[in-house]
Amino acid sequence: MANFRSIYKIQVFLTILIHLTVALYEDQVGKFDWKRSFVGKVKFVSFEAKRIIVATEENVLATLNLNNGDIQWRQILEDPSNYQLELLHVNKDILTVSGVRNNWLVRTWNINTGTLLAEWVINAERTVPSAFTIINGKILHLVPITGSHLEITTYSFIDHENGVLKGVTRIVSAPWLTNISNCVFAGLHYVCVGSNQLHFINLDQENSKFITKPLDTFIESEAGKIILIEYKHKTPSFLMLSNNIAKLASIVDENIVIKPFDLMPNAVNVVGNGKDLIYQLEANDNKEKLIRIKVKDFQTGADEFSVDLDYPLGLGAPIILGAQNRGSSSDLLLSTTDNALLLVRLPEAKILWSREEALSNIVATEFFELPISELDASIEHEFDNENDIFGMFSHRISTQINQFYNLVFGNKLLQNSGLVRDEFGLHKIIVVATRAGKLFALDTLSGSIAWSYRLPNIQPFLGLNGQEQMLLYVQRTAQFAPLPAHCILLAQDTITGNGILFEFDPITGYSDKGIQKLPYRISQATLLLQHDKNFLKPLLVLSQDNELYAYPRDAVSVIKDHFSTIFLYTANSETAILTGFTLKYSTENQMVVKKSWDIDLKPSKIVALGVKPQNEQVHSQGKVLYDRSVYYKYVNPNLLAVATISPDPMHHNVLSIYLIDGVTGLVVYGTSHKRAKGPVHLVHSENWLVYSYFNERFRRTELAALELYEGHLQSNSTAFSSFAVSQLPHIQSQSYILPLVPLKMAVTLTERGITNKFLLVAMSSGAVLEIPWLLLQPRFENMPCGPEESCIPYMPEIPMHPEAIINYNQTLGRIRGIEVAPARLESTSHILVHGLDIFYTRVAPSKTFDVLKEDFDHKLIVLVLSALIIATFVTKKLAARKALKQAWK
Amino acid sequence: MNWTAIICILISYLPCHTFSLEHDGSAIIHLQHALTGGPDPQFKDRGKITVNSLRIGQAIVDQKPLAEADRKLIQKLARENDLYRIQATVIANDGSKKTFLSSVKACMLAEAELDDRLSLSFDYLGHIIGVSLVIASKSSCEGSDVPLEKLKEFTTNVYVRHTDTATIPDTASYIEKIERERDAKEKGDVKDNKSFLAKYWMYILPVVILMVISSATNPEAQGGGQ
Repeated sequence: MANFRSIYKIQVFLTILIHLTVALYEDQVGKFDWKRSFVGKVKFVSFEAKRIIVATEENVLATLNLNNGDIQWRQILEDPSNYQLELLHVNKDILTVSGVRNNWLVRTWNINTGTLLAEWVINAERTVPSAFTIINGKILHLVPITGSHLEITTYSFIDHENGVLKGVTRIVSAPWLTNISNCVFAGLHYVCVGSNQLHFINLDQENSKFITKPLDTFIESEAGKIILIEYKHKTPSFLMLSNNIAKLASIVDENIVIKPFDLMPNAVNVVGNGKDLIYQLEANDNKEKLIRIKVKDFQTGADEFSVDLDYPLGLGAPIILGAQNRGSSSDLLLSTTDNALLLVRLPEAKILWSREEALSNIVATEFFELPISELDASIEHEFDNENDIFGMFSHRISTQINQFYNLVFGNKLLQNSGLVRDEFGLHKIIVVATRAGKLFALDTLSGSIAWSYRLPNIQPFLGLNGQEQMLLYVQRTAQFAPLPAHCILLAQDTITGNGILFEFDPITGYSDKGIQKLPYRISQATLLLQHDKNFLKPLLVLSQDNELYAYPRDAVSVIKDHFSTIFLYTANSETAILTGFTLKYSTENQMVVKKSWDIDLKPSKIVALGVKPQNEQVHSQGKVLYDRSVYYKYVNPNLLAVATISPDPMHHNVLSIYLIDGVTGLVVYGTSHKRAKGPVHLVHSENWLVYSYFNERFRRTELAALELYEGHLQSNSTAFSSFAVSQLPHIQSQSYILPLVPLKMAVTLTERGITNKFLLVAMSSGAVLEIPWLLLQPRFENMPCGPEESCIPYMPEIPMHPEAIINYNQTLGRIRGIEVAPARLESTSHILVHGLDIFYTRVAPSKTFDVLKEDFDHKLIVLVLSALIIATFVTKKLAARKALKQAWK
Repeated sequence: MNWTAIICILISYLPCHTFSLEHDGSAIIHLQHALTGGPDPQFKDRGKITVNSLRIGQAIVDQKPLAEADRKLIQKLARENDLYRIQATVIANDGSKKTFLSSVKACMLAEAELDDRLSLSFDYLGHIIGVSLVIASKSSCEGSDVPLEKLKEFTTNVYVRHTDTATIPDTASYIEKIERERDAKEKGDVKDNKSFLAKYWMYILPVVILMVISSATNPEAQGGGQ
């Protein structure tokens, strides 16, 4: 009986929660969500019959289908900032070596399923960059000791203790050795280039020594610096690159033989059909086909054949990663500077497939509403020339005829381009900037790439905790037809570190100015709310020397009346100082920023900063209490949340959270957690803040919620001013145990803010959980809490329901961000989760209260209604007839 | 020499929040203000604030009445809707020195008749993190003309503000609550150990009455029909 009761209790509890969460039905899978998977920039590749095995810089091992490039299986190894794959060797199984400095993991994988077969550890003593190779089924680890010798450690898989491989080290004298990057493997040999000398050693022989050959005997002395490049061939060979011309060298009987012909540095060898061929890429004069694949004979260097490749525009320069011969045809795998992966099938030089691996690392995201259709736009132009009545009349007639035509025959325009705004704003364009410096526009309906634009030599800014980000600003949305939408990307130049500004139309990807290099380093940027005559919102960019620039440049005339209400702030993670600036003393001719406040958080370290979403709407100004009184929210749009960690001798680490007004610098509130450490994730919205941290005392992740109220009286209901402080807000707080490890947190955003809020938490397991804000909202002390007050009684542990996972069974690899945007439908938010995978879905925290259900039966209701109407008339007739008959009786 | 001592008692917003300060300390704050306005103001001495005990939050404010010229300058700042800026140099008891800048609208200061509040924020160890000047007001202004006689002297309230100790997940009271509910349930079960009729008589009775009435009326209706 007691058992039954507890089940009943859980059941009731679940029912309450399921009412709050919106689970997905099985037939809805993939209906409005999509997922794209990536592997990252490819580092090593190996062709195996019908599949390609790749090891990437994202520390991912995967196999791709040779014919379509799909991922067959993917193994995500450790964090790439700590571990890197150093060796990929495919024999019967796949063998990888990954690690960093002196800790290495040797693993073998099943080729078909990708399951881990065995794992060993190598603990080396030296921490210098080193190299691995496999010879005769043994791992050789080569560690250079600068100016002295080379340590060669041989590990065999039989000799291990508790999974730690034990090696046998031998020392080879190499006093000329400086850096491992001057050396390459050539079959069983290891070749290094020193000053004017070439050294090589046979690794297969015991007690072998470096053999030294002077360089000038085979290369002209004025050749300059020589770089060695690996070249895989059955005779130990390598490429010697000088002045961008590569020479093929082979080691034959302890001698180096140089082939008499020149090669490109990206040459690879393919053996097949009894021929030994060299494949290389060359630039082509033909503007239509930019790349030429040239095939040479290995022995003579004579041109076998060459073919022009129809290389897609917009991709960066390619290099050959690998090649294989398959009888009559051969396959080349190319990698481009923008991390794309292409498979080219020869001899017809057809690109079988391409993968945009740049999307595996997104650093900025923005959602864009699509423009209205031309027809709708033409309706809006009816009153453009108001004096011409006949013109207006004919315009209206023609548009209405068009409308009628579309109604009857379907909208052709919509079918043609597809990128037209829909009724509910569910179809959007997501513009993403990637770490590789390539912009993509993704269609929310299908996940397909609408356009892409490559920006060479740009890199993201380094934010707090080493988080990389670029900045995207929407200067003009697509609402202002016929003016196109306008967007700005801010990034950094890889060479100078100065700012890069790129203006473009987010719908088409067209940019009329191209990349603009700014003559300064960017420190802060902000988009203003006022717009100029072209409906462009001005962007203010603050340089590191505190100079201010406005884009577009003539926007100063628009904002000149608002200088006294524009404030900026910067947070310096190194000095832990927050500084506020005012634009008050600017004039139309010269904008000046002057410091107006500062906060010094030393000796703590700033670990996170939370600002409210700029486009957030707060619908309800207060909370109705149980006694029907209103408790007003403290909604300060200028409020910043800052999280700091300070090392403490007694409490290990102390996490402090400060709420700071961004205009006056007033510390509105401060709180501290002892024995708590990062990573800290902040979510700041409306009048509340939620943050997660790791509690060192209880060794668990905790979540704390802060809510700010003005009290029973609202100080100023019409306009909020940070300067007018009549009273400090009242703080409610409550904390919870989070039974998961969060990677990122975000909050849903809707058009008007009426819909309930959901917290989205990306877990380390690859799932994204939605937690209703109601569950976290701090409860008032000494006040009843129940369904009548729309309050869920306090539970210290946040329940994790499988129904609340928005990506259901689609695990997402290494989540780096969650982006949220409102749809025009109040109930719905767009969600984009990105990392190694990209996952898009829509969530409706209060269910889709403003649209009919998908399975709503329109036909049935029409049928029932018409049947009822018919029945009414028939019965009326029948009743009249009956009455007539009765009257005659 | 005019000594004003104002003791500020901190109002803790909720009784459950306790302020934490590991070690008590003191701080001396040298205040400078800018009365000239403009982008590059000149700072001059305004006064000194001594906080003897951070834990108690007691502050001694030492400020001289304003000179005639300074009052005129403040009036001018207020009229031109300029900013009134202060620079606070805080010397902690370990001798470390930090300087903070804070700005308010000069017209708000003048309208409040130089009644300002100084918020000193400390971290959990008692290190100062920010000094902010605040004017208690419900609205901001865009320049105002305040007569000189209202601008005599600063009446500064000093608020020493610490960080709260954050709440921790309240598992104990939750378990207590669950146990209480369970106990209540069990007790409730004992009470409910009555017979079926005793428990549900209120549902059974109307049904019985209905049946009685219908059986009483039915024969009549049948008879009427015949």
